[in-house]
Amino acid sequence: MSAREAILDPLFNKNPVLLQILGICSALAITNSVLTSLIMSMAVTAVLAFTNVCISLIRNHLPNSVRIIVQMTIIASGVIVVDELLQAFAPDVARTLSVFVSLIVTNCIILGRAEAYAAQHNVRMSLLDGIGNGLGYSLVLIVVGSIREILGSGTWLGFTIMPVVYEGGWYIPNQMMLLAPSAFFIIGLIIWLLRSWKTGQVEEREFKEINLAKAGRQL
Amino acid sequence: MNNLVDIFLRAALIENLALAFFLGMCTFLAVSKQIKTTLGLGAAVIVVETISVPLNNLIYTCLLRDGALAWAGLGHLDFSFLGLIVYIGVIAAMVQILEMILSRFSPALYNALGIFLPLLTVNCAILGASLFMVQRDYNFTESVTYGFGVGVGWALAIIALAGLREKMRYSDIPDGLQGLGITFITAGIMSLAFLGISGIDL
Amino acid sequence: MNNDSPKKALLVVFLVALFCSVLVSVASILLKPIQQRNQLIERSKNVISLTGLAKDSAALSNDAILAAIKLLDIRVINIDSGEFASDLNAAEFDSRAVVNDPELSIAIPAELDIASLSRRSRYEIIYLVWDGNTLSRVILPIVGTGMWSTIRGYIALQNDLNTIAAVSFYEQTETAGLGDQIERPDWQAQWQGRKLFDSQGRLRFRVGPGTIAPNSPASSYQVDSLSGATVTSDAVTRIVAYWFGANGYKRFLDQLDAHPAVKAAAADATGGSTS
Repeated sequence: MSAREAILDPLFNKNPVLLQILGICSALAITNSVLTSLIMSMAVTAVLAFTNVCISLIRNHLPNSVRIIVQMTIIASGVIVVDELLQAFAPDVARTLSVFVSLIVTNCIILGRAEAYAAQHNVRMSLLDGIGNGLGYSLVLIVVGSIREILGSGTWLGFTIMPVVYEGGWYIPNQMMLLAPSAFFIIGLIIWLLRSWKTGQVEEREFKEINLAKAGRQL
Repeated sequence: MNNLVDIFLRAALIENLALAFFLGMCTFLAVSKQIKTTLGLGAAVIVVETISVPLNNLIYTCLLRDGALAWAGLGHLDFSFLGLIVYIGVIAAMVQILEMILSRFSPALYNALGIFLPLLTVNCAILGASLFMVQRDYNFTESVTYGFGVGVGWALAIIALAGLREKMRYSDIPDGLQGLGITFITAGIMSLAFLGISGIDL
Repeated sequence: MNNDSPKKALLVVFLVALFCSVLVSVASILLKPIQQRNQLIERSKNVISLTGLAKDSAALSNDAILAAIKLLDIRVINIDSGEFASDLNAAEFDSRAVVNDPELSIAIPAELDIASLSRRSRYEIIYLVWDGNTLSRVILPIVGTGMWSTIRGYIALQNDLNTIAAVSFYEQTETAGLGDQIERPDWQAQWQGRKLFDSQGRLRFRVGPGTIAPNSPASSYQVDSLSGATVTSDAVTRIVAYWFGANGYKRFLDQLDAHPAVKAAAADATGGSTS
């Protein structure tokens, strides 16, 4: 895999959230504003890169019996450092993100990529893979965050796009966008869009008779 | 006693970790195809939660929190920043031990659970419950109730989703939504329904 | 060394643990002072906005905030006795830290615990704003359980110790878009001029539904609740009711009322006539 593929593949072809079903929890819970999505994306990408590099460095010396616990320790340390940095330099955002920063430890993307890639490849490629998957994750978060913030508060990153009636404007905000279920719907629709474009990702139907029936109708 | 019932019901229904806080989503969406598998997974989650939350509570109270080490004469130390590593370590160890116990004493259940038991280590619902327990400063009995309640709630949610997905097997869903897409939308509607329970004062 | 030998496993685990602990500890120690400064600025910012001294407290720089907080008269009071506690240092006291300490806090009896706090500290930090020799405002912290989270804020009272000069909520994680609107300035502006107690000393303030005719007597005790956020609005009413009731600041306010500096200001306000 070339460097270019490592970084670009996870964006649309193998997106961690939309295809690999990883890292969903945070994609749903904290995306009601673009700022939190941005900070969370940066935090996850940083931890991903750090972890991939560390694990790739020790991959030839890691005994099987302690593999998972060592990986978890490295991931947890990375997350703690990121959490401390956030609390020092972006305290308001850190408060909003609260336990979700700590939950990056269990973000399946990180352990998933560590096991599936960093444990078998060299440091440079592991770093690129980490950054690539981080970018794929960030893409989803920022898109969902943008939709939710624009429709839910009329703003984007704090800048007013559609002035809200509470502040003398005309837009009555769709407050469901600020609530949790909207993220499910938005991601579901994004998946539909993506799979209409990249038809290779469409899942097979379990009940094949429907396909036959549809084909029959068209004949 | 009232307080404990309140904690249990809040944890299981009103503040359901899967549908209100979106924890444990990866497994929730990936593994909910059949009711049978979700029953086993739900049971595993309940056991792990009920043991790990009180255990982490003990560790936090006796070793990590600000002033906890007073019994050793080191009351000025605050190790709460190590919490994350310790909790995940405890959970990983617990899951490993549970695996060994099950494979020895109940091989049928062990085989039924299969790969999902080790996967519980990275289930955010398990770690999330411990983190919430620390944030809300529960004592030991409250932690036991909370852990149990949280496990029951998550199990209920995933079994319900599996039931819905089984019903949808014969539906003509658009190609792009097949599988993951429609699962997201279904989970969203379930989550909307659970919002309706929020705000109930017990 | 063979990768699967126990010795290798122990060595790897030890080295990884060493590396990670050094990394985490260094980060924590280096960043702690910055984090503490942030917390102090955050707490101070909310108080400054209530003093009425700064025109636009949101625009103040962090250094200006820290300097301004030094100008406030910060006191520790004993909530139960209503007196100033001179033996506690206001700069070091943190009521949140002592809330579980059996000597410095109390368990609130269930029938009095309308803000669902279960425990509260015996002491609290309050802020006095002076205008020359007379008291212009007193700022009191309030806290209680909302729908999802603990709501923390400050209420500033004018020198009649009844009229609300300002309110601010600085910590809550209520429902996004609904309950969390208690942090909106335009909603908080409604609180200005509302009164807590009526002429018989009964607490009548509430955050209530429906709009009341602006000139009716009931309107001076009510702030409109937030639409779609009934539970949070009710919680705020109960928080105010608890803290300005007998188990809260009432005793302190009664004792402060008898203070000469407060009496002088009140007399000025009524045009010098004494009743």
